[in-house]
Amino acid sequence: MICQTMRIFVSIATVRRITLRFCWVKAPVFEPCIGFVSLSVPRLVLVLLALVAMPAALAKKPALPPQTPWSFKPLQQAPLPAVKNTAWPQTRIDWFILAKIEAAGLQPSHRTDERTLTRRLSFDLTGLPPAKSEISNLKSQISSLLASPHYGERWARHWLDLARYTDQTPDWLDSTKYAYLYRDWVVRALNEDMPYDQFVIRQLATDYLPESGPQDRVALGFIGLSPSYFKELQLPPSIIKTTVADEWEEHVDAIGRTFLGLTVACARCHDHKSDPITTRDYYALAGVFASVRMTERPTMGDEFWLPVKKAREDVAAMDKQIGELKKKKQPTVEIERKIASIKSGTPHYNMLMANAVEEAALFVVDADNKKGTKLDYKTGMARDLEMQKRGNPNDTGEIVPRQFLSAFSIKGQPRKLVTGSGRLELAHALVEEAAPLTARVIVNRVWKHHFGRGIVDTPSEFGNLGDAPSHPELLDDLTARFIANGWSLKWLHREILNSASWQQSSVAPESERRDPENKLLSRMTRRRLDWESWRDAVLTVTGTLDLQFGGPALSVSDAKNARRSLYSASNRQDMEPMLRIHDVPDPGAHSPWRTETITPLQGLFALNSPFMQQQADSLGAWMQKQPGGFDAVFARLFQRPPTMSEHDALHDFLRDREKDTAAWSQCAQALLAGNEFLFVD
Amino acid sequence: MKMPPLITRREAITRMGGGLGALGLAASLNAAGGARTHFMPRAKRVIHLFMNGGPFGPDFLDPKPSLTKYAGQRPDGADLRTERPTGGLMPSPFAYAPQGESGLMMSELLPNLARHADDLCVLRSCHTDNPNHGPALLLMNNGTMTERVPSMGSWLSYGLGNENANLPSYVVLCPGRPVRFSILWSSAFLPAQHQGVYINHTNLDAKQMIPWLHNERISATDQRRQLDLMQQLNHAHLAARGGADVALNGRIEAMETAYRMQSAATDAFDVSREPTKVREMYGTGHFANGCLLARRLCERGVRFVQLYYGNGQPWDSHSNHDATSRKLAADIDRPIAALLGDLKQRGMLDDTLVVWGGEFGRTPVTENGNGRDHNPHGFLMWMAGGGAKGGTAYGESDEFGFKAAVNKMHVHDVHATLLHLLGIDHERLTYRYAGRDYRLTDVHGRVPRDVLA
Repeated sequence: MICQTMRIFVSIATVRRITLRFCWVKAPVFEPCIGFVSLSVPRLVLVLLALVAMPAALAKKPALPPQTPWSFKPLQQAPLPAVKNTAWPQTRIDWFILAKIEAAGLQPSHRTDERTLTRRLSFDLTGLPPAKSEISNLKSQISSLLASPHYGERWARHWLDLARYTDQTPDWLDSTKYAYLYRDWVVRALNEDMPYDQFVIRQLATDYLPESGPQDRVALGFIGLSPSYFKELQLPPSIIKTTVADEWEEHVDAIGRTFLGLTVACARCHDHKSDPITTRDYYALAGVFASVRMTERPTMGDEFWLPVKKAREDVAAMDKQIGELKKKKQPTVEIERKIASIKSGTPHYNMLMANAVEEAALFVVDADNKKGTKLDYKTGMARDLEMQKRGNPNDTGEIVPRQFLSAFSIKGQPRKLVTGSGRLELAHALVEEAAPLTARVIVNRVWKHHFGRGIVDTPSEFGNLGDAPSHPELLDDLTARFIANGWSLKWLHREILNSASWQQSSVAPESERRDPENKLLSRMTRRRLDWESWRDAVLTVTGTLDLQFGGPALSVSDAKNARRSLYSASNRQDMEPMLRIHDVPDPGAHSPWRTETITPLQGLFALNSPFMQQQADSLGAWMQKQPGGFDAVFARLFQRPPTMSEHDALHDFLRDREKDTAAWSQCAQALLAGNEFLFVD
Repeated sequence: MKMPPLITRREAITRMGGGLGALGLAASLNAAGGARTHFMPRAKRVIHLFMNGGPFGPDFLDPKPSLTKYAGQRPDGADLRTERPTGGLMPSPFAYAPQGESGLMMSELLPNLARHADDLCVLRSCHTDNPNHGPALLLMNNGTMTERVPSMGSWLSYGLGNENANLPSYVVLCPGRPVRFSILWSSAFLPAQHQGVYINHTNLDAKQMIPWLHNERISATDQRRQLDLMQQLNHAHLAARGGADVALNGRIEAMETAYRMQSAATDAFDVSREPTKVREMYGTGHFANGCLLARRLCERGVRFVQLYYGNGQPWDSHSNHDATSRKLAADIDRPIAALLGDLKQRGMLDDTLVVWGGEFGRTPVTENGNGRDHNPHGFLMWMAGGGAKGGTAYGESDEFGFKAAVNKMHVHDVHATLLHLLGIDHERLTYRYAGRDYRLTDVHGRVPRDVLA
């Protein structure tokens, strides 16, 4: 009954942290370290143990500390492996790939045809089907697509999945009317081929860089648009502290998984079970996020902003007055006139605002009336956090100074994160002492998007529990050269796309039979287009795609929305069913990779949605006008002429209905909803 | 049995990597005639009647004479912190009588349900962790107050698959929108086919309920022709690629299922196909329609139907509590009694678990004079059918019905019990995400044997 007694005496909402929330990890290798929390132990014993061992638990080191994961180690460039078929490799990548294929007694697949390559390349780099004119040689196609502004749009989508980007944050935060500025910043940064280390630093701490101005603050959206959880301030601080601690955990988790491929947040309640990350490390990092506040910041300098700020405050006060006057049914014309004059008389009154962060230490304290809670932000200050026992913010221990993960110490010392919140030092640590890991993680992400499979196939888990790399020497070789080439993502794409490995055919029966998961990469994996690429492709071939760049998001169900899917509004509280059924990830959490499903609901969308009908109408009407049978539509959709049997199938379908626009639309829809349009060889 | 449904993460990923999602799993389960579970299931499906806003247990199934005795007072045990300031104890005015062979004490608010007293397993000692609607809704639905983990229904769908490939495995019915909305039926990191399909059944036209279920512009014959054309091209495309690609095959099958679903789902969601006698038995109103829909769906193999009582949080009686409670009870009593009777008559109550409750309860002390505040310390739920022990009241709340006191059941325990009745060991239904094996019950959960039939 101790369990029950305890529950009664300890404040609600905090008790359950005494046992380890969320962290039941099957890790046979490290069984000795986790026997303590094993669920086979009866609950009562567990709680007893927790109570008795609590003070000691944090200090106590497991008998065998987790070993350093391979991914933490310095990059090692091995000599190219020997291969038999020396004629096959085109880039260094191919030597590593071929060596493993040959060792398994297999052959690489033949180079696929130019048409397939062009289509594959176009979707990979821009998320759009190939334009007709792209018939030049592959190298120049790669260059031209990398130079296309649509490249940034495509790869921004990949990044925004990791950054849990949303256009809409809860209404208790500042407005997110301008959330899109962060999205557009990502597009621009990728198009400009901003070195990846810079890309990281900018998103965490651009406001600390001398070369960066107020207009760059939009880059801070990575943290500035983080999830925020509801806090009922009528409740006592003991409950609110838990919610706030959950938010810090979210931020540490997002940073850890996105940049480092590590589940740092596991260490909130206990030392990480399998990686050398301690609870101390966790609170040392969480202190950075306890020292920032998500807020709107102006995109122009103080000389413009301060008058705007004053004017907006004045207008807000007058709006309030208007409300009161209206209640009393008194005239408001005079004040409204004043407001109009302030707005027109203040230069840049409608200045764009960045969803950013500012330095402010958060303390969760009793409200002044002692009945509820106050969130006490101390602007300009930073704070170090106390260690929380078993993740319980109401049971704290010693204060931990803010610093980077101890596993990445320099001369035995982790980097101190002391300037302001420590964001800039954190960013530098990610790309300096943790550079091998940070770079391996991004190289692997890019690789996985090109091959459908990562060298490490758990792209956000590079710790001991993640998958081992299938080609470790290749990953190190490529990563080392990536860094040597100035962390250039476009260099990386070129290196991959010019390889014989990437140019293989996806039709390879022997390889499919012997290596169904394609771990050896002895063929190209056939991939399904994701929702965005598929919708964009449909709009492209029906001639309705609106290629305008950037700006505010539109609802994807708006019938007039013909813009690229990147610009569809993403709402954490109310995700559009159209997005949800098509595997678009929940924007409330870091998504390392899209989980692909093939479901009847998607089929219903393809068959019956107004979107598909509208697009089919456009394409059908165009088809009907084309001379020369079905060649034109096949060229447009598949860059090839129809086969005889395809021609006959369409012909039969339309027989005696050649003048019926509905029949043409139905025919067009069958092509748009078919597999050839959805899959890339 | 071709494929064990309680798939391991690796199997799941392998299968996803092959691109074959829901369909392959559901189809094979269907072919196999059901799911393989950890142990013999008592229930095959669940209907969760969700009284959103939070009902007050002592109005219904937990008599508290002490409320009258100490009316207006605030004795020691009644001085608990809840969301808002509260006053003295307020008696529940509804008379109790023993019902059924079991003599289960039930209030006058449930005259029809009283006929099923011997089917009810009342959990009088439930408790949760937070007095706000949002976090409490999340805990009840998703097993944690933190957002972004899969909902209970998604776990069931993931664990058990679907009995009917032509219908979704998890359907959420609400005449309007519950607070927090779609997060409550999110599949989060589980594959998307396990998310709840949300249906606003305010409009009973089946074709309007499921998005894109129906195409006004094309006849069934023409659509079949269109699909035949598409599949002809798909098969040629597949053949040119060796014929074995699971993703291409999966999509071909999914299109066929979608086509069939148009009529299957239209049928399942069309309550007008019920005989008048049955319609009358359930009564009228959105909740009655929801109960009838739930039965139709379960009958056709839907694994989990969650029926929210209404838009927003109708049970949230911060003021005028007694009148609200009376009105709401009148609205649910007949339909629920009809549902239990109907399931029983069809031989389905044995393997259909019906669960009733809110996200928390309400205080025995007043708020705003005649209202009741949120109460996470103690609240009441009940189960019926599906292996739950009928005619039972399990656990006790304290003297005032404020706090769970004896044989307490945390929400995690409710979840563990529910999974248990479905044949699932809640500790073994896991999914690897972000370096951890997640469970519905986190690291908690206990199954009290006394509630099992």
